[in-house]
Amino acid sequence: MKKSAVYWLLLPGFVFLAAFMVIPIVLTIGSTFVQENAFTLDGYLHFFKDPYFLKILLTTLQVSVVTTLVCVVLGFPTAYYISRKAPRRKGILLALAIFPLLTSPVVRSFSWMIILGRKGLINNALVGLGLIDQPLDILYTPAAMMIGLTHLFLPLMIISLVGVLENIDQDLLKAAQSLGASRFTAFRRVVFPLAVPGLVIGAVLVFVGSLTAYTTPALLGGKQRVIATFLYQNAMTLNDWYLASVIAAIMIAITFIVVGVMNRMAKTLNPKG
Amino acid sequence: MMKKWLSGVTAVVMTSVLLAGCGGAGNTSDNETAGDTGGSAAAPTKLVVSTWGFSEDFFNEEVFGPFEKEHNVDIVVEVGNNAERLNKVRQGTSEVDVIYLSDYYAQQAIDEGLFEFIDRANIPNVNDIYEIAQAPLGENYGPAYTVGQLGIAYNPNLVSIEVSSWSDLWDPAFANNLTMPNITATAGPMVVDAASYAAGKDSFDEEAAFAKLQELSGNIVKFYSQTSEFVNMFAQEEIAGGPIMEMYFKDLQVAVPDAKFVTPSEGGYAVMNTINVVKGTKNKELAEKFINWQLSQEVQTASAKAKVDSPVNTKVELTAEEAEGITYGAELVESLNKLDMEFVNRKAKEWTDRWNREIAR
Repeated sequence: MKKSAVYWLLLPGFVFLAAFMVIPIVLTIGSTFVQENAFTLDGYLHFFKDPYFLKILLTTLQVSVVTTLVCVVLGFPTAYYISRKAPRRKGILLALAIFPLLTSPVVRSFSWMIILGRKGLINNALVGLGLIDQPLDILYTPAAMMIGLTHLFLPLMIISLVGVLENIDQDLLKAAQSLGASRFTAFRRVVFPLAVPGLVIGAVLVFVGSLTAYTTPALLGGKQRVIATFLYQNAMTLNDWYLASVIAAIMIAITFIVVGVMNRMAKTLNPKG
Repeated sequence: MMKKWLSGVTAVVMTSVLLAGCGGAGNTSDNETAGDTGGSAAAPTKLVVSTWGFSEDFFNEEVFGPFEKEHNVDIVVEVGNNAERLNKVRQGTSEVDVIYLSDYYAQQAIDEGLFEFIDRANIPNVNDIYEIAQAPLGENYGPAYTVGQLGIAYNPNLVSIEVSSWSDLWDPAFANNLTMPNITATAGPMVVDAASYAAGKDSFDEEAAFAKLQELSGNIVKFYSQTSEFVNMFAQEEIAGGPIMEMYFKDLQVAVPDAKFVTPSEGGYAVMNTINVVKGTKNKELAEKFINWQLSQEVQTASAKAKVDSPVNTKVELTAEEAEGITYGAELVESLNKLDMEFVNRKAKEWTDRWNREIAR
């Protein structure tokens, strides 16, 4: 086969992505700059000048950042442990780790409602032990959203990290230790920098996933909105497609900014990666 | 070997993430039956009916089935909530002939010119239904086939007072254990109206209503958009009560046998579900016959006895037991407060904004 002919194989995928992703996104974003046939930035100015919209954006970012950090803290040790195991074991452990992703978000959120509620497992235990008099309000708060999202996205972090951690040569650690590094120093100066690419991929996936999640915040969150539920209200119940498009464009912009910043951080942490 | 395994796992994960993302919206389904019926009879006419999708078995057996047989029709059902289905009609992406919508959403469709004018001559049963239901949105548009009431349900084990009025929702007994319908739900504007009463106004006063509702802000655990959310929170004792449609009270009783439902002294609110013919249908007359059938004594009795919908047909007769949990009886139905849906719709956007900023915080 001629080399140029190979490119034709890309055509179906290219056409599919162009027709169903690139063009719709360009049209959506493009429409936010046009009102009454004239170029305008009003949609965005209106959004960023309004404390109410900004509060929704801030809550969403807060929830996403905390979720990402918690996923890093919980995911790294787990991934490190899994990556050290023999292949057979590793397979089983990985399958267990991704299990949360295989259940529906609705079912998962309902389980959390039962655990976090006023009459839930946690509150019953705390009240029963005499640690508190009144049940804590956990369900229908941002904390409940963070818990639900961490449960949902932790597997993505673990998988991304296992992917890089298992490729780190054990001999590197032995070499570091033979040159006098403690186990902790060897981890900090050798394993961690090499794991940064996986960490970045995992963090981007978790962050973007949390930023755009709808079902979990809708079920576990209370009165406070996040940007995805706000978008849904505007599009589906208020039929305000203009504001919905502005929100969508802002979400896309945030995603790109976050990916850019993460990549830059990765370069600083691991210059050779 | 391990690599292959890992990429397999990753593929599964990616797919499930995608599926998880769709989970929220993917509840639309068609009930399309095979078009090929065979035999010598003429091919059946296709009638697309858009409805909520609750009590599907009942509708298939008692409403759609008999109509299909009698008129040689093949009914195709589209399901979803009010907003989703109305949006589909707006965008013209579906071929809906007949649509079930609450009056709040039906009025939006009317304002946007999405409905045909109906010919009441084809719907003689309309004369047998309560006056309030005959032409809730004007003579040109479809009737309400059911009138339910919005009242207050509460758990007497958690609420120390006897609830009898809308203003009881402001009692400290409901501190931090109350739910309210979201403003975008059909019952949302009714609560705004009730708040005006609670503020001591005889005629509707928007400022007083919103100020009064703001007092409740701290007491509300969560706003509900679907009645199932109310039922869940009630069952888990996350809430002690709130405004709810009487039709769903039986679900509350399953969870909390002591639960009480009251029609507040200022009156409950009429929740009217209408049935209309969508503009551009090729089967207008058939659609009108379908509406007539939905209003018939036969269907209305069956749906009341199955506790699917409260009846509007005055010929429906129920025993006290059969009437339990549904809104029944001319006296009660005619006593319900009815909102001016045109007014509500003009205000919808403004109210939603105020509600979001002032109350849902």
